[in-house]
Amino acid sequence: MISVDKKILLVDDDLDLLDQNKILLESKGFKVVTAEGSKKGWEVFKLELPDAAILDLIMEEHDSGFILAHKIKKDEHGKKIPVFILTSATYITGFKFGASTEEEKEWINCDGILNKPIVIDDLVNKLEIFFSDHITK
Amino acid sequence: MDLLKQKILIVDDEKGLRLGTKRLLEKEGFDVVTAENGTEGIALGTSTEFDAAIIDMKMPDFDGILVLKEIIKKYPNTVCFIATAYASYDTAIEATRVGAFSYIPKPFSPDELLLQISKGLEKRELNLQKERWQKEREERLLEVAFEKTRLNTIINSISDGVLVINKNGEAVLYNPSALKFLALKNIKIEEYIIDKLPEKLAEQVKQFLNSSEYLKRSLTVQLQMKADNELFVEATTSPVPAPDGSLAGVAIVIKNITELKKIEFLKSQFVSMVSHELKAPIAAVYGFLKLISDKSMNLSPDKQNEFINRSIVRLDSLLKMVNDLLDISRMEMKTTQREIKELNILDIIKNIMDLFQLEIKKRNLNVNIKSSEINPLFKGDQDEITRLFTNFVSNGIKYNKQNGSLVINIEKNDDYLVTEIKDSGIGMRPLEKDKLFHEFYRVKNEFTKDISGTGLGLSIVKRIIDSYAGKIEVESEFGTGTTFRVFLPVVDNALKENKVTLNNIQSV
Repeated sequence: MISVDKKILLVDDDLDLLDQNKILLESKGFKVVTAEGSKKGWEVFKLELPDAAILDLIMEEHDSGFILAHKIKKDEHGKKIPVFILTSATYITGFKFGASTEEEKEWINCDGILNKPIVIDDLVNKLEIFFSDHITK
Repeated sequence: MDLLKQKILIVDDEKGLRLGTKRLLEKEGFDVVTAENGTEGIALGTSTEFDAAIIDMKMPDFDGILVLKEIIKKYPNTVCFIATAYASYDTAIEATRVGAFSYIPKPFSPDELLLQISKGLEKRELNLQKERWQKEREERLLEVAFEKTRLNTIINSISDGVLVINKNGEAVLYNPSALKFLALKNIKIEEYIIDKLPEKLAEQVKQFLNSSEYLKRSLTVQLQMKADNELFVEATTSPVPAPDGSLAGVAIVIKNITELKKIEFLKSQFVSMVSHELKAPIAAVYGFLKLISDKSMNLSPDKQNEFINRSIVRLDSLLKMVNDLLDISRMEMKTTQREIKELNILDIIKNIMDLFQLEIKKRNLNVNIKSSEINPLFKGDQDEITRLFTNFVSNGIKYNKQNGSLVINIEKNDDYLVTEIKDSGIGMRPLEKDKLFHEFYRVKNEFTKDISGTGLGLSIVKRIIDSYAGKIEVESEFGTGTTFRVFLPVVDNALKENKVTLNNIQSV
């Protein structure tokens, strides 16, 4: 299994959801580090240098997740890892956005948008595709 | 002088002719006045208006032409005849050139004279008629012009935009508001205007103008005229009928609906915020239940219990939030039943304190309640006012430090009953203070993460205070504490009482 030695950073301002997603990812064999809020998220990212990051979109501000993703993607280490934004905003605002085209990836600066609640098998699938791609490259 | 008779002036120095003519004309029913020389002729002919004048060409003092000139200078409609024994082509021309109706060669036969006079009087009648009509027409025009000015003044002062377009698509009438709302620079009357209108409105107008039959209804369209919700207008186009029932054109009334749109936007923003806030606890509980039900997770009984308890906490806060939202909605719709009576604010606060005894002990807070009045009275609804102060007391305890203090001070000044709630809690940063009364806003920092709340308390408090025409002040220093000052108006209690009772009947 690819996941064994991979470390995932989870950032969410809802402590309950943070714990739940941590348990889910751990059950699939990932190591998980968590941060409550985007400020802490950045600190943990710099400290732990995770293999992937999953960020909640709406935290302190309505776009905290985007901003943190942007920051991570500019970082030397962050460039190499997949970053996912976790949100239910598309449903609530009716505003459809994704990160499937190059253009969208450019301005949203992440590797995918994950809808809440997390479907763990989908997420694991996405992560594994990314990790295996990376290895073959 | 008979007023109904037509008056004729005879100016002649020859007595026989003068009297003979007078007799002849009087017999025919005319009122005749005679003058025996030019001087007298001018005097008579310019003092009253004669229907006709027969003037001798040659008189000892004045020339007949001169007399004629003087008379018609004063009364242009007096029909003048020049009578002359020296009839010549030149005389005739000269006489008519200066304004004579015609000339009568002397000697004249009675028939000839009467024929001439009747022709002359006919002409005079026509002239008078023409003059009357002209005068009438001028008066009409003046009246129309006045009406038009008045209408224009009214239309120009209407705050809604008005634009009238004829069936050829040309502007017929407009006011300054129409220019402003449709972002038109300047339009000329009778200029083809449809191309200059916003597309949606132009289409709407064309529907009327291009239709083969007369459309009786009005059409309305909303237009965003400026970006960022700065100018929204609603244009209503109605057909204008011509007298024969066909379409003469359309009248467009343009209303500024920017404020309405802003409210609409705030409302939908609120709905989306509410949905997000409601969804968060549901998602948390859903997640916990899924974990517990998933046997492959192998959760320990302790872990399962913890998740159940955390679910209960989230559901509890969800319930509170829904209740708060219902309260806000009731306040917004003004369906709250108020029972206004005299309340003792000191009693209310003391009662609230009793309910919080446990929390106060837990934090070991030093509570101090002071009042400048023995009975600080305020007329209001007991539930609302209790709710108001419960919120402040609860915040003052929740956000306080261990061993901190909570001081409540009630004072009355000329206008207000002022209640100050001062805590030694965690305080706020200026930016946080500004957002304090926004729905769902909660100060998020290392101190507040374990404090529960819906983020609606102060928003409700603000609504209650506003509804009593009161006000609120906040002073806060991060790390030191927060002071809220609630101002409830007491001045025209007598006046207000009536109003409140009235409002109460309408169940405000």
